[in-house]
Amino acid sequence: MWFLLMLVILLTNGMSAFGLKMIAGWALPETVKYPYLTVWYAGGLAVIAIPLILKGLKLGKTEILWGGIGGALSIGGQVAMAVALSSGVPGHIVFPIAIGGSIFVVALAGRLVFGERMNQPTALGVALGFIAVILLGIS
Amino acid sequence: MGLLFCFLGALFFGLLGSTLKVAERRNANASGLVIAFYGWAALAMLAKTLLVKSSGHIPGKVFLIAVIFGTCAAIASWAFQVSIRIGKVTVGWLMMNLSAGIPVIVSIWMYHEHLTPLKVVAFVLALVSVLFLFWGQVIEKRVLRDSPAKGN
Repeated sequence: MWFLLMLVILLTNGMSAFGLKMIAGWALPETVKYPYLTVWYAGGLAVIAIPLILKGLKLGKTEILWGGIGGALSIGGQVAMAVALSSGVPGHIVFPIAIGGSIFVVALAGRLVFGERMNQPTALGVALGFIAVILLGIS
Repeated sequence: MGLLFCFLGALFFGLLGSTLKVAERRNANASGLVIAFYGWAALAMLAKTLLVKSSGHIPGKVFLIAVIFGTCAAIASWAFQVSIRIGKVTVGWLMMNLSAGIPVIVSIWMYHEHLTPLKVVAFVLALVSVLFLFWGQVIEKRVLRDSPAKGN
Protein backbone atom coordinates (compact mmCIF):
# COMPACT_ATOMS: atom_id res chain seq x y z
CA MET A 1 0.00 0.00 0.00
CA TRP A 2 2.79 2.45 1.02
CA PHE A 3 4.80 1.75 -2.13
CA LEU A 4 1.74 2.31 -4.32
CA LEU A 5 0.98 5.60 -2.53
CA MET A 6 4.57 6.79 -3.08
CA LEU A 7 4.34 6.02 -6.80
CA VAL A 8 0.97 7.79 -7.01
CA ILE A 9 2.47 10.86 -5.26
CA LEU A 10 5.51 10.85 -7.55
CA LEU A 11 3.48 10.71 -10.77
CA THR A 12 0.38 12.77 -9.95
CA ASN A 13 2.05 15.54 -7.95
CA GLY A 14 4.76 15.80 -10.58
CA MET A 15 2.24 16.19 -13.40
CA SER A 16 0.02 18.59 -11.45
CA ALA A 17 2.40 21.51 -12.03
CA PHE A 18 2.81 20.84 -15.75
CA GLY A 19 -0.25 22.87 -16.76
CA LEU A 20 1.45 26.19 -16.02
CA LYS A 21 4.29 25.12 -18.32
CA MET A 22 1.77 24.34 -21.10
CA ILE A 23 0.06 27.71 -20.62
CA ALA A 24 3.42 29.47 -20.84
CA GLY A 25 3.99 27.65 -24.14
CA TRP A 26 0.67 28.90 -25.55
CA ALA A 27 1.72 32.53 -24.96
CA LEU A 28 -1.56 33.51 -23.29
CA PRO A 29 -1.89 36.67 -21.14
CA GLU A 30 -0.25 36.45 -17.71
CA THR A 31 -3.61 37.00 -15.98
CA VAL A 32 -5.03 33.69 -17.30
CA LYS A 33 -3.17 31.89 -14.52
CA TYR A 34 -5.69 33.12 -11.91
CA PRO A 35 -8.84 31.55 -13.46
CA TYR A 36 -6.63 28.57 -14.35
CA LEU A 37 -5.69 28.05 -10.69
CA THR A 38 -9.31 28.60 -9.59
CA VAL A 39 -10.48 25.79 -11.92
CA TRP A 40 -7.38 23.75 -10.94
CA TYR A 41 -8.37 23.80 -7.24
CA ALA A 42 -12.11 23.46 -7.95
CA GLY A 43 -11.53 20.51 -10.31
CA GLY A 44 -9.42 18.72 -7.72
CA LEU A 45 -12.00 19.50 -5.06
CA ALA A 46 -14.82 18.05 -7.19
CA VAL A 47 -12.97 14.81 -7.93
CA ILE A 48 -12.43 14.09 -4.23
CA ALA A 49 -15.72 15.56 -2.97
CA ILE A 50 -18.32 14.07 -5.36
CA PRO A 51 -17.77 10.37 -4.46
CA LEU A 52 -17.77 11.29 -0.75
CA ILE A 53 -20.93 13.38 -0.99
CA LEU A 54 -22.64 10.47 -2.75
CA LYS A 55 -21.56 8.25 0.15
CA GLY A 56 -23.01 10.81 2.59
CA LEU A 57 -19.74 11.87 4.25
CA LYS A 58 -19.80 15.24 6.04
CA LEU A 59 -16.85 17.50 6.88
CA GLY A 60 -15.97 17.86 10.56
CA LYS A 61 -14.51 20.87 12.38
CA THR A 62 -11.06 19.23 12.45
CA GLU A 63 -10.91 18.92 8.66
CA ILE A 64 -12.23 22.46 8.03
CA LEU A 65 -9.82 24.01 10.57
CA TRP A 66 -6.66 22.13 9.56
CA GLY A 67 -7.56 22.31 5.87
CA GLY A 68 -7.88 26.09 6.24
CA ILE A 69 -4.52 26.37 8.02
CA GLY A 70 -2.94 24.21 5.31
CA GLY A 71 -4.48 26.35 2.56
CA ALA A 72 -3.24 29.56 4.21
CA LEU A 73 0.30 28.17 4.60
CA SER A 74 0.30 26.99 0.99
CA ILE A 75 -0.76 30.40 -0.30
CA GLY A 76 1.76 32.04 2.09
CA GLY A 77 4.56 29.92 0.62
CA GLN A 78 3.52 30.74 -2.96
CA VAL A 79 3.32 34.48 -2.20
CA ALA A 80 6.72 34.45 -0.45
CA MET A 81 8.32 32.75 -3.48
CA ALA A 82 6.59 35.16 -5.87
CA VAL A 83 7.84 38.18 -3.84
CA ALA A 84 11.38 36.74 -3.78
CA LEU A 85 11.31 36.23 -7.57
CA SER A 86 9.85 39.69 -8.27
CA SER A 87 12.49 41.32 -6.05
CA GLY A 88 15.17 40.04 -8.38
CA VAL A 89 16.36 36.81 -6.76
CA PRO A 90 16.94 34.31 -9.60
CA GLY A 91 14.79 31.16 -9.78
CA HIS A 92 17.82 28.88 -9.39
CA ILE A 93 18.28 30.37 -5.90
CA VAL A 94 14.60 30.77 -4.90
CA PHE A 95 13.44 27.21 -5.68
CA PRO A 96 16.29 25.25 -4.02
CA ILE A 97 16.04 27.37 -0.84
CA ALA A 98 12.22 27.28 -0.61
CA ILE A 99 11.79 23.60 -1.52
CA GLY A 100 14.98 22.24 0.08
CA GLY A 101 14.31 24.34 3.17
CA SER A 102 10.77 22.97 3.47
CA ILE A 103 12.11 19.39 3.45
CA PHE A 104 14.56 20.38 6.20
CA VAL A 105 11.73 21.91 8.30
CA VAL A 106 9.54 18.81 7.85
CA ALA A 107 12.45 16.47 8.68
CA LEU A 108 13.18 18.50 11.80
CA ALA A 109 9.51 18.45 12.86
CA GLY A 110 9.32 14.73 12.04
CA ARG A 111 12.20 14.02 14.42
CA LEU A 112 11.56 16.57 17.21
CA VAL A 113 7.77 16.93 17.21
CA PHE A 114 6.48 13.62 15.89
CA GLY A 115 9.33 11.40 17.18
CA GLU A 116 10.02 9.73 13.82
CA ARG A 117 13.18 7.64 13.71
CA MET A 118 14.80 6.62 10.45
CA ASN A 119 16.80 3.50 9.70
CA GLN A 120 20.05 3.88 7.73
CA PRO A 121 18.69 3.28 4.19
CA THR A 122 15.82 5.73 4.80
CA ALA A 123 18.18 8.39 6.21
CA LEU A 124 20.51 7.93 3.20
CA GLY A 125 17.51 8.08 0.84
CA VAL A 126 16.32 11.32 2.44
CA ALA A 127 19.84 12.84 2.22
CA LEU A 128 20.26 11.89 -1.46
CA GLY A 129 16.70 13.01 -2.25
CA PHE A 130 17.38 16.34 -0.55
CA ILE A 131 20.43 16.89 -2.80
CA ALA A 132 18.45 15.75 -5.88
CA VAL A 133 15.63 18.23 -5.15
CA ILE A 134 18.15 21.08 -4.75
CA LEU A 135 19.90 20.14 -8.02
CA LEU A 136 16.53 19.97 -9.80
CA GLY A 137 15.76 23.46 -8.45
CA ILE A 138 19.11 24.82 -9.63
CA SER A 139 18.85 23.22 -13.08
CA MET B 1 15.26 41.25 1.28
CA GLY B 2 14.42 38.80 -1.51
CA LEU B 3 16.48 36.07 0.18
CA LEU B 4 14.48 36.56 3.36
CA PHE B 5 11.31 35.74 1.41
CA CYS B 6 13.01 32.56 0.05
CA PHE B 7 13.50 31.37 3.64
CA LEU B 8 9.99 32.50 4.54
CA GLY B 9 8.70 30.35 1.65
CA ALA B 10 10.68 27.39 3.03
CA LEU B 11 9.17 27.98 6.46
CA PHE B 12 5.60 28.22 5.13
CA PHE B 13 5.90 25.07 3.02
CA GLY B 14 7.67 23.21 5.83
CA LEU B 15 4.94 24.20 8.26
CA LEU B 16 2.37 23.06 5.71
CA GLY B 17 3.85 19.53 5.68
CA SER B 18 4.03 19.53 9.49
CA THR B 19 0.44 20.87 9.80
CA LEU B 20 -0.87 18.02 7.67
CA LYS B 21 0.89 15.57 10.00
CA VAL B 22 -0.67 17.29 13.04
CA ALA B 23 -4.09 16.95 11.34
CA GLU B 24 -3.39 13.24 10.82
CA ARG B 25 -2.46 12.87 14.51
CA ARG B 26 -5.80 14.51 15.37
CA ASN B 27 -7.56 11.85 13.30
CA ALA B 28 -8.64 14.18 10.50
CA ASN B 29 -10.21 12.25 7.65
CA ALA B 30 -7.74 12.33 4.70
CA SER B 31 -10.37 12.97 2.03
CA GLY B 32 -12.17 15.53 4.20
CA LEU B 33 -8.92 17.39 4.79
CA VAL B 34 -8.14 17.51 1.06
CA ILE B 35 -11.68 18.79 0.37
CA ALA B 36 -11.31 21.55 2.99
CA PHE B 37 -7.80 22.43 1.76
CA TYR B 38 -8.88 22.67 -1.89
CA GLY B 39 -12.14 24.40 -0.97
CA TRP B 40 -10.37 27.22 0.88
CA ALA B 41 -7.71 27.52 -1.83
CA ALA B 42 -10.35 27.60 -4.61
CA LEU B 43 -12.21 30.38 -2.79
CA ALA B 44 -8.98 32.39 -2.34
CA MET B 45 -8.09 32.00 -6.03
CA LEU B 46 -11.63 32.92 -7.08
CA ALA B 47 -11.36 36.11 -5.02
CA LYS B 48 -8.01 36.89 -6.67
CA THR B 49 -9.49 36.20 -10.15
CA LEU B 50 -12.38 38.56 -9.51
CA LEU B 51 -10.05 41.26 -8.17
CA VAL B 52 -7.66 41.18 -11.15
CA LYS B 53 -9.09 43.00 -14.16
CA SER B 54 -9.25 41.10 -17.47
CA SER B 55 -8.58 37.72 -15.81
CA GLY B 56 -12.17 36.43 -15.90
CA HIS B 57 -12.12 34.71 -19.31
CA ILE B 58 -10.66 31.23 -19.56
CA PRO B 59 -10.16 29.52 -22.95
CA GLY B 60 -11.60 26.01 -23.32
CA LYS B 61 -8.23 24.26 -23.61
CA VAL B 62 -6.97 26.02 -20.46
CA PHE B 63 -10.13 24.95 -18.60
CA LEU B 64 -9.58 21.36 -19.72
CA ILE B 65 -5.94 21.13 -18.57
CA ALA B 66 -6.84 22.91 -15.31
CA VAL B 67 -9.36 20.16 -14.51
CA ILE B 68 -6.93 17.39 -15.53
CA PHE B 69 -3.92 18.70 -13.57
CA GLY B 70 -6.04 19.85 -10.64
CA THR B 71 -7.35 16.29 -10.41
CA CYS B 72 -3.73 15.03 -10.42
CA ALA B 73 -2.90 17.44 -7.57
CA ALA B 74 -5.90 16.40 -5.48
CA ILE B 75 -5.07 12.72 -5.90
CA ALA B 76 -1.45 13.45 -4.88
CA SER B 77 -2.61 15.37 -1.79
CA TRP B 78 -4.95 12.55 -0.80
CA ALA B 79 -2.19 9.93 -1.33
CA PHE B 80 0.23 12.02 0.79
CA GLN B 81 -2.32 12.37 3.59
CA VAL B 82 -3.00 8.61 3.61
CA SER B 83 0.73 7.78 3.38
CA ILE B 84 1.66 9.75 6.51
CA ARG B 85 -0.75 7.59 8.51
CA ILE B 86 1.30 4.49 7.67
CA GLY B 87 4.71 6.03 6.92
CA LYS B 88 6.99 8.93 7.76
CA VAL B 89 5.98 12.51 6.99
CA THR B 90 9.59 13.33 5.96
CA VAL B 91 9.59 10.59 3.31
CA GLY B 92 6.13 11.54 2.02
CA TRP B 93 7.11 15.21 1.82
CA LEU B 94 10.39 14.38 0.10
CA MET B 95 8.48 12.28 -2.46
CA MET B 96 6.11 15.23 -3.10
CA ASN B 97 9.16 17.39 -3.86
CA LEU B 98 11.08 14.75 -5.81
CA SER B 99 8.08 14.63 -8.12
CA ALA B 100 9.37 17.94 -9.53
CA GLY B 101 11.56 15.72 -11.72
CA ILE B 102 8.51 14.38 -13.60
CA PRO B 103 7.57 17.63 -15.40
CA VAL B 104 11.28 18.12 -16.22
CA ILE B 105 11.31 14.69 -17.92
CA VAL B 106 8.05 15.45 -19.76
CA SER B 107 9.46 18.84 -20.86
CA ILE B 108 12.55 17.15 -22.27
CA TRP B 109 10.29 14.73 -24.17
CA MET B 110 7.57 17.21 -25.27
CA TYR B 111 9.50 20.44 -25.75
CA HIS B 112 12.90 18.87 -26.55
CA GLU B 113 14.49 20.80 -23.71
CA HIS B 114 18.22 20.30 -23.27
CA LEU B 115 19.26 17.53 -20.89
CA THR B 116 22.11 19.16 -18.95
CA PRO B 117 24.70 17.16 -16.96
CA LEU B 118 23.25 18.72 -13.77
CA LYS B 119 19.80 17.33 -14.60
CA VAL B 120 21.29 13.89 -15.30
CA VAL B 121 23.02 13.92 -11.88
CA ALA B 122 19.77 15.06 -10.22
CA PHE B 123 17.76 12.27 -11.89
CA VAL B 124 20.31 9.60 -10.95
CA LEU B 125 20.38 10.84 -7.33
CA ALA B 126 16.57 10.95 -7.24
CA LEU B 127 16.35 7.38 -8.54
CA VAL B 128 18.92 6.10 -6.02
CA SER B 129 17.12 8.04 -3.27
CA VAL B 130 13.76 6.41 -4.11
CA LEU B 131 15.41 2.97 -4.10
CA PHE B 132 16.94 3.62 -0.65
CA LEU B 133 13.59 4.93 0.67
CA PHE B 134 11.83 1.79 -0.58
CA TRP B 135 14.58 -0.40 0.93
CA GLY B 136 14.23 1.45 4.24
CA GLN B 137 10.49 0.84 4.21
CA VAL B 138 11.00 -2.89 3.53
CA ILE B 139 13.37 -3.12 6.53
CA GLU B 140 10.93 -1.21 8.72
CA LYS B 141 8.04 -3.50 7.77
CA ARG B 142 10.22 -6.55 8.49
CA VAL B 143 11.19 -5.17 11.93
CA LEU B 144 7.53 -4.44 12.73
CA ARG B 145 6.49 -7.93 11.60
CA ASP B 146 9.23 -9.60 13.64
CA SER B 147 8.92 -7.51 16.81
CA PRO B 148 5.83 -9.32 18.33
CA ALA B 149 7.62 -12.65 17.85
CA LYS B 150 10.65 -11.34 19.74
CA GLY B 151 8.40 -10.21 22.54
CA ASN B 152 7.00 -13.74 23.07
